[in-house]
Amino acid sequence: MQKKLFLLDAYALVFRAYYALIRNPRITSKGRNTNAQFGFTNTLIDLINNQKPTHMAVCFDTHAPTERHTDFADYKANRQETPEDISSAVPDIKRIIEAMNIPVVAIDGYEADDVIGALAKQAELSGYDVYMVTPDKDYGQLVSEHIKIYKPPYQGGVFEILGPKEVCEKWGIKNVSQVIDILGLMGDAVDNIPGIKGVGEKTAAKLLAEYETLENILANAANIKGAMGEKIKAGKEDAIMSKKLATIITDIPAAVFHEEDFRIKEMNKEAPKEVFDMLEFRALTKRLLGEDTGIVDKHNGSETAPSATENKKATADTGQLDLFGNVVAAAPSEVTTSVSSSEESFLSPQKNINNTLHNYILLNDEKAIQQFIDIAIRQTEICFDSETTGLDANDAELVGLSFSFKEGEAYYVPCPAEKNACLALLKKFQPLFDDEAKVWVGQNIKYDMLMLKWYGFELKGNTFDTMLAHYVIEPDGKRSMDALSAKYLGYEPVHIEELIGKKGKGQGNMRDVEIEKIKEYAAEDADITLQLKNILLPQLKTKAVEKVFYEVENPLVKVLADMEFEGIKIDESFLNDYSKLLETDAKKSEESVYEQAGVRFNLASPKQLGEVLFDKLQLDPKAKKPRRDSMQPVKTCWQSWR
Amino acid sequence: MNNKICDDILAFRELTKLKNTYVDALPLMINKKTGRVHTSYAQAVAVTGRLSSIDPNLQNIPVRTERGREIRKAFIPRSDEFVLMSADYSQIELRIVAAISGDANMCEAFKTGKDIHTATAAKVFNVEDAAVTKEMRYKAKSVNFGIIYGQGAFGLAENLGISRTEAKEIIDNYKKQFPNIQKYMDDTINFAKEHGYVETLMGRKRWLKDINSANFTVRGFAERNAINSPIQGSAADMIKLAMIKIHAAFKQQQFKSKMLLQVHDELVFDAHKDEIDIIKPMILQCMQTAMPLPHDVPTDAEVGTGVNWLAAH
Repeated sequence: MQKKLFLLDAYALVFRAYYALIRNPRITSKGRNTNAQFGFTNTLIDLINNQKPTHMAVCFDTHAPTERHTDFADYKANRQETPEDISSAVPDIKRIIEAMNIPVVAIDGYEADDVIGALAKQAELSGYDVYMVTPDKDYGQLVSEHIKIYKPPYQGGVFEILGPKEVCEKWGIKNVSQVIDILGLMGDAVDNIPGIKGVGEKTAAKLLAEYETLENILANAANIKGAMGEKIKAGKEDAIMSKKLATIITDIPAAVFHEEDFRIKEMNKEAPKEVFDMLEFRALTKRLLGEDTGIVDKHNGSETAPSATENKKATADTGQLDLFGNVVAAAPSEVTTSVSSSEESFLSPQKNINNTLHNYILLNDEKAIQQFIDIAIRQTEICFDSETTGLDANDAELVGLSFSFKEGEAYYVPCPAEKNACLALLKKFQPLFDDEAKVWVGQNIKYDMLMLKWYGFELKGNTFDTMLAHYVIEPDGKRSMDALSAKYLGYEPVHIEELIGKKGKGQGNMRDVEIEKIKEYAAEDADITLQLKNILLPQLKTKAVEKVFYEVENPLVKVLADMEFEGIKIDESFLNDYSKLLETDAKKSEESVYEQAGVRFNLASPKQLGEVLFDKLQLDPKAKKPRRDSMQPVKTCWQSWR
Repeated sequence: MNNKICDDILAFRELTKLKNTYVDALPLMINKKTGRVHTSYAQAVAVTGRLSSIDPNLQNIPVRTERGREIRKAFIPRSDEFVLMSADYSQIELRIVAAISGDANMCEAFKTGKDIHTATAAKVFNVEDAAVTKEMRYKAKSVNFGIIYGQGAFGLAENLGISRTEAKEIIDNYKKQFPNIQKYMDDTINFAKEHGYVETLMGRKRWLKDINSANFTVRGFAERNAINSPIQGSAADMIKLAMIKIHAAFKQQQFKSKMLLQVHDELVFDAHKDEIDIIKPMILQCMQTAMPLPHDVPTDAEVGTGVNWLAAH
């Protein structure tokens, strides 16, 4: 088997990961931003799973100054302060890498690209295919037949492998050794390398086409006519220094490629889990352990969370940014708070139903139910939850009701499957439901109200929704019941999968779960919600958000429940006709594209489209502004396909 | 030729997206029991306070292109006895900007019922209202909305396809003519730096932990959120309050008409033909008085009816 070594440019990947999610950040229940840890770890796991490297290492810069700093005081002097969230992420990232048994390499006096260059050259000699994992274009100078750049996917795109051909094409040069000549001539704003004033990428490439090297250009400066000649003469010293600064140092005595150290080893999957737990990376834990993801229950309000694709779109909206996050600002998009239901956070709380005292009572006969109602009618505040057969309240059946008005104590009433029997049971609760003086506490209580409405019942009293209380207390926190319970109660509720299995085709129905299990689960929900209410209530006051809660969000619940219940009529025959029309028109556009391109291809494939637009038709994807430039549409349509 | 192929590619993309995401998907969302589509509102997702919805996501139904707008024709009244009614706040975010900044010129423009972008253009380009050209109005509109999102000269230049120098000149003029807008932005950012949050007119808060970051990119995001959140969030507060008022009024009067949808700054109703003349002024009244704005900036809404959502809007 061919040996494949992947060398990761840690900081470049960390910065990129952080900025990729900046508009839609991942925040833990403790308020930490974990974009960097999350994105980097994802890249790492992607590489291991998809690229199947045999060897791997992650290279970091160190704080020690390098020769470049000594040579040129302004080197990288334009850098912004590292965002605080990145600085605090690095120790976590190192822990994750180490837990995954992957070596970390950092050598004082050298930057990560030097170390990667040095290791790459040695590994090449030992017969490896080397991939330098980085978004940084400067690595182009190191590329050879067996050393390539692996540019990880960004904003929903695909990864790219850049070998000598691609690098030369990118810069318009003949040989990758000319990358440093280009950089020396044009400079590099990111690293504050000056280059020759007034020489850009195109000019540099043109000069190199004629004179081969930077040194030769300088030697021939006298022959270069006009203003450009003057500029080159004036910038001679800067150019020589710039080339030196841009040159990656591959001769590093301390960087030694020991095959065995870099070999991918069996991973102790439990070790990263500890860090993931702390960072609340639930899906990553599962990915690493090879389990399915996907936990949804109605208390998450996660039927409302954006889907993975929407999330990807939100990320894609972040706009252009370079390696060090000099973002070209765009209008902030509506930011959503949770990433996706499968990314719901979790802590590892200590308490659960097995080690916590509780009294959950099954009400399964007429007498017990009547006794309960007699007590409940005297309560001013009742925590209420319904168990149902599905997530869509407009298309589900009641399975049971749970109630609680004292912490640690809750009741569960099973509902018969047969509609009339169920209605007869609900009728008994009517005095409770109709009591306008009651306050009904619930987590996402709109769902439960909607369920009751489909059976013809209404909660006439006021409501207190714990999900909404948390929404105004901490708008960008996570608020599934599991997350709230872990955060505020240190308690891990029974997971719905324990009752009906994992989400997906094989998932069972609440109706079929044995009564004792469902009682514990359902009563616990009511109990937990009541406990959460007792904690969140005073926070509404201390955070001074009572007004927006009591005057806006809380009363809106009933309004929305009614609106959802009403629904709206849809003209199906119009949509059928319109669908056909759109199809015809789309086909016309498609044919027109093929005709102009002179080739048929798969228009839905960004890769094929890219080849046609940029290779065959030679459109320039980097066409510059202004916006009304004729090239702008190319750019737009290219971006919209990525 | 380049433009043509790109236009075709974009057209193909739009058409297939419309077809797959909306036109073919909507019928699948029809509830078997009711024959209607019941969207589900997410009340606790958007950090700004806005509502969102899924199945279908009403916010996403395209409005910018004619083909996209056509989709609204599929939303129809429940029977022949009803029409669809749409009530939409007009320029609500800019009214909120005027109200919370207290900028005299901007407040005045709203109070005298002027077209805000024309009035802005007249000030920025120093001409009479009547002399404002389409081009000027377009530029002024762009600045007005840019301000809400904390856009600078760079963004404006990009948006309008003009030079950065020209963009800067426009923005400088704007700031001179509407001095309190700049003051509002500075004050809001300073408030956020000191308190760690910003808030809406109803006291909805947004915490901005990066507002004092040493990194200017990160800080910049927080600053733009500081300026934008009170504006978007107050608009959300207002329409939510209006919905509560309208819902209560409808309930009290036991109307056959029902409020059905909320999307952006718009409310959609099934309006019984006999009730149109009663509910129209009632809805407008509720919307206009839901949340009185500071500095007596008036709130305005428009209402229309039709045989489908497109016709009503």
